[in-house]
Amino acid sequence: MPRVSFERIHKTYGAVSILKNLDLSIDHGDFLVLLGPSGCGKTTLLNMLAGLTDVTDGRILIGDRDVTDLDPKDRGLAMVFQSYALYPTKTVRGNLRFGLASARLPAPEMDRRVAWAAKLLQIEPLLDRKPAQLSGGQRQRVAIGRALVKHAEVLLFDEPLSNLDAKLRTEMRLEIKRLHEELNPTVVYVTHDQIEAMTMATRIAVMNGGVIQQFGTPDEIYERPANLFVAGFIGSPAMNLKKARIAKRDGLVTGRFGNGQEIVLTDYGFARAPQDGAEIIVGLRPEYFGPPDAPVNGAAAVFDLPVAHTERTGSDATGYLRFDDGLLSLRVEPGQAARLAGGQKVRVAFPPGKANLFDAATGGRL
Amino acid sequence: MTDIASAATIGATIDSRPIVRRRKKRITGRSVAVLVFLTICALFFCVPLYVVLTTSLKTMDEIRQGQIFALPQTWTLEAWRFAWFEACSGINCNGLRVGFWNSVLILVPSLMLSVALSIVTGYALALWDVRWAGTFLFLMFMCAFVPFQIIMYPLIAMTRSIGVYGTIWGVAVVHAVLAMPVLVLIFRNYYKDIPQEIMSAAIMDSGSFWRIFGEIILPMSGNILIVVVILQLTSIWNDYLIGVTFGGFNTQPMTVNLANMVTVSTGTASYNVDMAAALLTAIPPLLIYFLVGKFFVAGITAGAIKG
Amino acid sequence: MSIRWTRVAPQLALSPALAVTMVAFIGSILWTITLSLTRSRRVPDYGIDWTEWSRQYARLFNDDGWTIALWNLITLGIGSALAIVFGFILAAMIDREKRGESFFRTVFLYPLAVSLIVTGVAWRWILNPDMGLEATLQRWGFEGVSLNWLAQGDTAMYAIILASVWQSAGFYMALMIAGLKSINSEIWSAARLDGVGLWRLYTEIIIPMMKFTFLTCAILLSLGVIKAFDIVLAMTNGGPGQSTWVPAYFVINALAQKQNLGYASAAAVMMLVLTAVVFLPLVLLTAWQARRRNAA
Repeated sequence: MPRVSFERIHKTYGAVSILKNLDLSIDHGDFLVLLGPSGCGKTTLLNMLAGLTDVTDGRILIGDRDVTDLDPKDRGLAMVFQSYALYPTKTVRGNLRFGLASARLPAPEMDRRVAWAAKLLQIEPLLDRKPAQLSGGQRQRVAIGRALVKHAEVLLFDEPLSNLDAKLRTEMRLEIKRLHEELNPTVVYVTHDQIEAMTMATRIAVMNGGVIQQFGTPDEIYERPANLFVAGFIGSPAMNLKKARIAKRDGLVTGRFGNGQEIVLTDYGFARAPQDGAEIIVGLRPEYFGPPDAPVNGAAAVFDLPVAHTERTGSDATGYLRFDDGLLSLRVEPGQAARLAGGQKVRVAFPPGKANLFDAATGGRL
Repeated sequence: MTDIASAATIGATIDSRPIVRRRKKRITGRSVAVLVFLTICALFFCVPLYVVLTTSLKTMDEIRQGQIFALPQTWTLEAWRFAWFEACSGINCNGLRVGFWNSVLILVPSLMLSVALSIVTGYALALWDVRWAGTFLFLMFMCAFVPFQIIMYPLIAMTRSIGVYGTIWGVAVVHAVLAMPVLVLIFRNYYKDIPQEIMSAAIMDSGSFWRIFGEIILPMSGNILIVVVILQLTSIWNDYLIGVTFGGFNTQPMTVNLANMVTVSTGTASYNVDMAAALLTAIPPLLIYFLVGKFFVAGITAGAIKG
Repeated sequence: MSIRWTRVAPQLALSPALAVTMVAFIGSILWTITLSLTRSRRVPDYGIDWTEWSRQYARLFNDDGWTIALWNLITLGIGSALAIVFGFILAAMIDREKRGESFFRTVFLYPLAVSLIVTGVAWRWILNPDMGLEATLQRWGFEGVSLNWLAQGDTAMYAIILASVWQSAGFYMALMIAGLKSINSEIWSAARLDGVGLWRLYTEIIIPMMKFTFLTCAILLSLGVIKAFDIVLAMTNGGPGQSTWVPAYFVINALAQKQNLGYASAAAVMMLVLTAVVFLPLVLLTAWQARRRNAA
């Protein structure tokens, strides 16, 4: 039985439509990440689940309960906010207890839960401090603790890491993942950061313009993006998307790029047999290219291209080659990057079965 | 006069010391001119207080000599005693203390009613999602400017019909009603700055309007509460019109008592008593002003601008 | 569907304030407007004769007392405007010369903490012709000085203006200081570098930048003048004769002394109209500012 489901959700503010006919459901213990650029409706969707925003039309179910018209506190949820939203006049302990006291839990049970959460999040020494006396990371832990003590069926996170610096963000990412594995709650997590999504999620819903573009596991999203938006949004450096035309001859299907280069697509799992001459867009992930100038064996495509420039990003490097009228990016070993001089021609190969093809007109996956 | 002037300059130097310490400013001719002008203005502002104070400490004989700026030759508190215990307001000759205690009695319920009504309204308007809040706020904004006279008779009729006209409670209710629009706007503007996420968190944690108010919002309202209480304290204490209209014969506040004493005085006027009475009436708000002036100024400017 | 307390509770909490607004403000205003159309005298009489609904208003505009009250209102308004000018000068000086800022602020603002009744008593005493300031000044050799303003109809308003300027100048100073402080400090430095004279700096740069502060002050002043009652009562009690009557005083007088409810109501309605005339620019101003803020 699904734990959380949205059924035919509509949301409009005045004449502006934020969400259109949205369906989504996840199972118990799932870690769902709602991923998308700002303004895509992901936070609105989360707030609707929380009960902080009204639903214009449709139903929200948690377990088998219809919670569409319930007050937030009756929905069995807990939420962690972007700004942490700790109560400034209460101590950490007071922050953790407020929700429990409101639910009229007996005092020993409250103490037990606070102690449990404090131990789990290593905030025991902070219990009697006020939020103003805490660092950003500590506030974040308290905010998570405040959500955990409620033993809610579903935990909501609204961009909880976006106010932390990069190092703390990595730390808290692992922490949240550890908590999910340990406690196994159902989680709905909103972010615009694809690394957070890829590392933590068991399910990702990529949203844009109030519509879910793709819903699937991180691997599915990454390897088989459902359309051009997902293909371009997920992955860094971004997938190379190049216009091409289908060319069929001698039982061989190829894509011919504007500059005459070709890629063999015979082994691509077409949903429908492509027509000769159809305009397509070929998506090539930068990291699937073989090392430059390495011996080629059974590649789908081999390009000889001049180097434009290279970029070193710590453990990785990206090479940019001139391709058609744009650039083709590929991941290279940092050691090799130094050897790629501008203007120098290199030979790169793309392996078979890794290309993504999209209809140039609709943007949908072929 | 020279005493006041020197006192004023001493006050000025003492006062400015912490400001000057940061970066010693060169004293220029222009600075001196400005300071002299400001000091003269300060004297103009202080003259009435000085005159009233010295007059209240003189005997009537001395006053008749017509030297209003002179210090008393014989200092006496007789006028103060008389004003407090024996001065007549109408046919009542029990002094100003009657009005003082009436004012205190009026103050307590007025303050509680007006603050309670407006803090809850401001909280609900600012932090809860009520569809007609915007319209209501606009309506209240307009009401903040309505002259008292246009609602005066209906308020008399209404308080009379519920039996509080002419009592302390009548005065308290009318104070609460008249102060409500401005105070609501002050509270609402203050609460509007509380981050929405804190409210969202509280709504998910508790969802109880009153629990969130008592445990989260009220502890965050310390400063604005002080500002509003002081604003109300002084304006209720200094009010005349509501007191004279809604207070009963024996429940009139101090200002009304004072006005009666000085305007309807029978026989020869005792200016020393009048001045002592005026000072007695002015002392409570002046004390508040000199003790917590910062909050007082915040209150009147907030009430004026945000209203 | 279950009751959503997060929807219901705030509406319940707002209901007393809503009731107060609807009954004590909106309802009362309509009530007074109704009364102003009737012949009510001591007790309300709700029969409206529609053929001559405006009789109270017609009477009002033929009443010398009302005419005097309106003229006095204008005099008081113009005279009190001195408080804004005075307040600005004080604010500019305090703001430039930081020495003694809080001392001077404290001194200039204390009259505001005092009841207007007390203010009136104090100034009446100072203006006392036999024993007050006039006597002292004459003793000092200023023989021609006459400060017996309160006894004469044509000067009594000046005494009221003096007292109200004394009382309110500090208030406008506080508003002006807030306005001056919001001006970017770089403006001062820039002006100094450009060698702009003080007079030109203020008239051409600072005052235009503070036009909203001035407008706010002007509107607050106008609203305050329309409501002015206590100071008139304490200084002159409307006298001598009717010479210092103002609309607020007129209404109370018609109600309390003449016991003419319909007539008092008509005058009160005129007060509301005057307020609306002043209030309208304020609403437009707020709307305009809100739009500008949204655009920014």
